[in-house]
Amino acid sequence: MISAFTGHSPLYRSKKKKNVGKLFTPGVTVAFSVLVLILLACIFAPVIAPYDPNAQDLTQCLAKPSADHLLGCDQNGRDIFSRILYGGRTALVSALLVVAFSMVVGIPLGLISGYKGGVIDTIIMRCCDVLLSFPSLLLAFILVAGLGRNTFNAVLALGIVYVPMLTRLTRSLTLVEKNKVYVSACVSLGYSDTRIIYRHILPNCISTILVQITLDIAYAILDLASLSFLGLGTQPPQADWGAMLDEGRAVLLMNPMLSLAPGLVIVIVVVALNIFSDGLHQYLDQSQTALPNIDKYEKKMNRKLAKEGGAVDG
Amino acid sequence: MGKFILKRLGQMVLVLIAVSVLIFAMVRITPSDPVASMTNGKNVSEETKQELRAHYNLDKSYPEQYAIWITGVFQGEFGESFTYKQDVDFLIGERIGTTLTLVLMSGLLAILIAIPVGVISAVKMNTWLDKLLSTLTLIFVASPVFLTALVLMLVFALELKWFPAIYQGNSIKEMILPAIALAMNMVALTSRITRTTMIEQLNSDYIRTATAKGLPRSRVIVTYALKNALIPIITVTSVQIGTMLVGAVLVESVFAMGGLGDLLISGIKSADYPVVQGVTLLMVTIFLVINLLVDILYAVLDPRIRMK
Repeated sequence: MISAFTGHSPLYRSKKKKNVGKLFTPGVTVAFSVLVLILLACIFAPVIAPYDPNAQDLTQCLAKPSADHLLGCDQNGRDIFSRILYGGRTALVSALLVVAFSMVVGIPLGLISGYKGGVIDTIIMRCCDVLLSFPSLLLAFILVAGLGRNTFNAVLALGIVYVPMLTRLTRSLTLVEKNKVYVSACVSLGYSDTRIIYRHILPNCISTILVQITLDIAYAILDLASLSFLGLGTQPPQADWGAMLDEGRAVLLMNPMLSLAPGLVIVIVVVALNIFSDGLHQYLDQSQTALPNIDKYEKKMNRKLAKEGGAVDG
Repeated sequence: MGKFILKRLGQMVLVLIAVSVLIFAMVRITPSDPVASMTNGKNVSEETKQELRAHYNLDKSYPEQYAIWITGVFQGEFGESFTYKQDVDFLIGERIGTTLTLVLMSGLLAILIAIPVGVISAVKMNTWLDKLLSTLTLIFVASPVFLTALVLMLVFALELKWFPAIYQGNSIKEMILPAIALAMNMVALTSRITRTTMIEQLNSDYIRTATAKGLPRSRVIVTYALKNALIPIITVTSVQIGTMLVGAVLVESVFAMGGLGDLLISGIKSADYPVVQGVTLLMVTIFLVINLLVDILYAVLDPRIRMK
């Protein structure tokens, strides 16, 4: 079937191109640009930021927004705009690390659990059950209580919290893939379990995992901000969006910008990530359903060819 | 049915035992000296330190400490707080009312807002109203609960002065802003799921039949479609209860409400093991009991689940 199909590849390719274009619908394009813009602003914070994030100018305590200080100053006379740029570095890098940790631990566990089954599967799943019986942030609270309160431990704690959810997702995807013909083919070819799991099963699960990952980054930003807001994550004077919200609540009436500006940035980033993840989900869903339809295209193509052939004949 | 409930109850007890071991171990991951927080960092003689350790059983081995704690829990005693010098069950008893009222009020509020919003979005699918509501829910999903709380506090308490900014437990009016702040997140998630399931239901055959029979539109939507959409809605709501318990910690912190959340956070900051263990175990238990009740509710609503 495939060899017959390659003859008509132009039609298939044009269909595929259409799908590629569909990832960047207007909404997704805007969301993606906003994300890239904020990411770039944070990466180049040392160039863009007008002030040092920890430089105190006591003559400017709680200054209102002005040309000198775009968003005003906090109670220590530090420039809020500069602190948001630097705070973004803390918040975004931490969130990415949380998700990276959960991927490195959760995905292999899920693959092994799903593929091997038996005792290993039972042990891994019971451990996940116990961890998931905590409301997620509560588990992070108590891990931070044991580990100590700082940015690194908050990242580690949330990383652990995110593992069981990803493990479960990967396991359920693996269970579906495991029974497909290509896995039997790999087994009969004598491939090792490791090779089958990582080279053959994982690539077939990765698109669904990817959608979950983009959402997890959004959740990680929110959860890290919650920890910092309660004083369990990033500690002052380091700039961080959640910690800034905490600093701002004491002076909410005098300079609301201190709380509202980092809050607004969090909302923008999380909304953008949600829209992007949604778009990605729809796009990947489409390409998956497009594949079994090859027969349909083939039929259509044959009909078209027959028609053209008929026209030439006549 | 009885067998089903018993089985679930047994599972829950096993999970709770594992959870209690985990809580006990996690609080002690890094060896720190709680005596320092008991004495507020004051210099005390080695003798006093030994006495304090003996008083709180800290001189015993970890398994012994766990055994003492867990037998106490079964008798309703959670141990004595290091910093408050009072029994943890007394401290919890003083504060649990505030937290439960907050969670129940906002849960109720959330359901009362979310279901109508979801149903309207589904019925008016792809109109400007649906798009407006979808945008609003997206924003509230993305807004951290403490940000919502701070904005409500700024606008309605500090600027307009309609409500008090601090909760003191004098009147129900003080609870309104915290309850709304905590509810908004759940409203967003629940109304989204309501919309999706309602659209699915409204496109099914039995709805067409009901409409063809000439039933009024309102009756088709409420007694036919909504009734069948309830199970997914309940699932999402019950999962949300856990998030709300933790969200309550954040809201309590903003409005200085002095509930369980404040107790937990101050306990974490001062390495007050009995307080942290007690409050966490209680919150997990509440979460699991609610999930169990929802499972039973499912089985009542949908006989197919009982058969599994």
